[in-house]
Amino acid sequence: MTILMDIRHLSKNFGGLQALKNISFEINRNEIIGLIGPNGAGKTTLFNCVAGVEKPSSGEIIFDNGERPVSIGGKKPEKVTSLGIARTFQNIRLFDNMTVLDNVKIGRHCRTKSTFLGAVARNRKQREEEESIRDHACQCLEFVGLKGLNDEIASSLAYGNQRRLEIARALATEPMLLMLDEPAAGMNPQESRNLMDLIRRIRDKGITVLLIEHDMKVVMGVCDRVVVINHGEWLTAGAPAAVRNDPGVIEAYLGTGAANAA
Amino acid sequence: MANLKKMTTGAKIRAGFLALALILPALPFATDYFLHTVILIYLYMVLALGLNVVPGFNGLLDLGYVGFYGIGAYTAGLLTVHFGLSFWMIVPLAFLNGALWGVLLGAPTLRLTGDYFAIVTFGFSELVVLFLTNEIWLTRGPLGLPGIEPVSLDLSLFGGPRWDFIGEVPYYYLAIAMVLVTVFVMHRIQDSRLGRAWFAIRDDEVAAVSCGINLLTYKVFAFGISAAFGAMGGSFFARWMTFLSPDMFKFWESFLVLCMIVLGGMGNIWGVMVGAVVLVSLSEILREVLPLLGLPVEVRFLAFGLIMVLMMRYRPAGLLPIPAVAAQMRSGRVKRKKVKAAVGLSK
Repeated sequence: MTILMDIRHLSKNFGGLQALKNISFEINRNEIIGLIGPNGAGKTTLFNCVAGVEKPSSGEIIFDNGERPVSIGGKKPEKVTSLGIARTFQNIRLFDNMTVLDNVKIGRHCRTKSTFLGAVARNRKQREEEESIRDHACQCLEFVGLKGLNDEIASSLAYGNQRRLEIARALATEPMLLMLDEPAAGMNPQESRNLMDLIRRIRDKGITVLLIEHDMKVVMGVCDRVVVINHGEWLTAGAPAAVRNDPGVIEAYLGTGAANAA
Repeated sequence: MANLKKMTTGAKIRAGFLALALILPALPFATDYFLHTVILIYLYMVLALGLNVVPGFNGLLDLGYVGFYGIGAYTAGLLTVHFGLSFWMIVPLAFLNGALWGVLLGAPTLRLTGDYFAIVTFGFSELVVLFLTNEIWLTRGPLGLPGIEPVSLDLSLFGGPRWDFIGEVPYYYLAIAMVLVTVFVMHRIQDSRLGRAWFAIRDDEVAAVSCGINLLTYKVFAFGISAAFGAMGGSFFARWMTFLSPDMFKFWESFLVLCMIVLGGMGNIWGVMVGAVVLVSLSEILREVLPLLGLPVEVRFLAFGLIMVLMMRYRPAGLLPIPAVAAQMRSGRVKRKKVKAAVGLSK
């Protein structure tokens, strides 16, 4: 199995607070990897470092998108997206005043080119590009199961569908790595099951998935491998079943003594 | 007219208004004063459509739009007085000069967010007025710039006649052409990759970045285009009025244009044009009515203030809101906060 992303000795400080301390792990191509830890463990900070929203204080993030490995620590978020890393947000961030289809079309932004002159002249090249944007966006919507909702306003969708739309938008950027930040938050068991199915189908398309999730049913059910961090430090990593029974993990979640009780 | 049946209701209404606009000068009540007012409406439509790009499409508050209007007007005025360039050469030059200043102002300042950016634009428009007032060697300062040649269409190069624009009617059709060009450009942008990127920035900057949109580039682009249309309006104004003075470009004008787009419906091309119609005609009506009531003409500014307050209370998204907001309002799901976010002034 080849390595898609190699995170080496990653640290991030916010003033005096060390949010991430010397984190290292690898993400293999085509796996679903879970990133778990108690609240405040630094999961979202790690996401933000990878996505380019935060600049790491030290350490490296090497991303190999098949051409040649590049270091993405400190690169701008829009650059990271065009390299092939897409994300969703913990609090859903959709373009509320736009239609479902337009939301996904924006995901195609980094893979298309036309600007002012193309827009005004509407020449053949631009029309073809517009056509391809539309087709691709429709495919993404169909893939996540939002077919037929193209013209709805994004903010009028049900909660679960908004999550799906966000995933569709991320998929429209043609990522190699998709990072999902608590996608199951607020979902009922049925919706979570559908989500797990969707995540597996995304992997089957050849996209690697990095998943932050608190819902252990989802994590245990879908992940090939789980990385645990606590207080910004790497705690353990391994198969879901092994991690679940790791005394260190139980202690991190439930406190000292809980490991013995369990 | 074979495809008249295929047109949507909205398209029919718009075609009707266009037809009405085209025959308006032939109607019996179309005096010179009346036509002058309608030309003013068209001019403000262009300005409002241009400004709309920044607050309406990008959600950034711009209080200095009149600065670009002034730059365009003086570009046209000075080029005419000193070099005798033809109007048809000057319009693209003013357009480019406006875009240039939009980019020069936007590139360093568009990193600022919300109110801070608004203050910078406000300062810029004041700077333009101060420049026009004090650089007497160039602009003749408060004396103004008189004797700008009116527009003429010279076809003698192709063996045709030379036609000077005298009276209001030729300017009337010139103004319509200008509005049509502006609407055409805005309409096409709205439904393109560029327009979508702008709307994305308006709705959620963080999510826009995560879709690969470079915020600064697109904002600067928006600002440049907005400025260019302002300058284009200015160049028309210069050749139409044949006289310019710095106090034509006071802050008040920026505010008036901003009122038009807020009143009409920020981000909606048609709404913005309705806003221009309402405010310009209201201004002219009040100019007549107020003296009859024994009030000074300046009281009309108070009336505008009152209208804005009532708008914010009863129709916060404008007369013709953008489709998404309109849909939310119809379904009764709209919250005051949401509408504000939609019009982009809450950031």
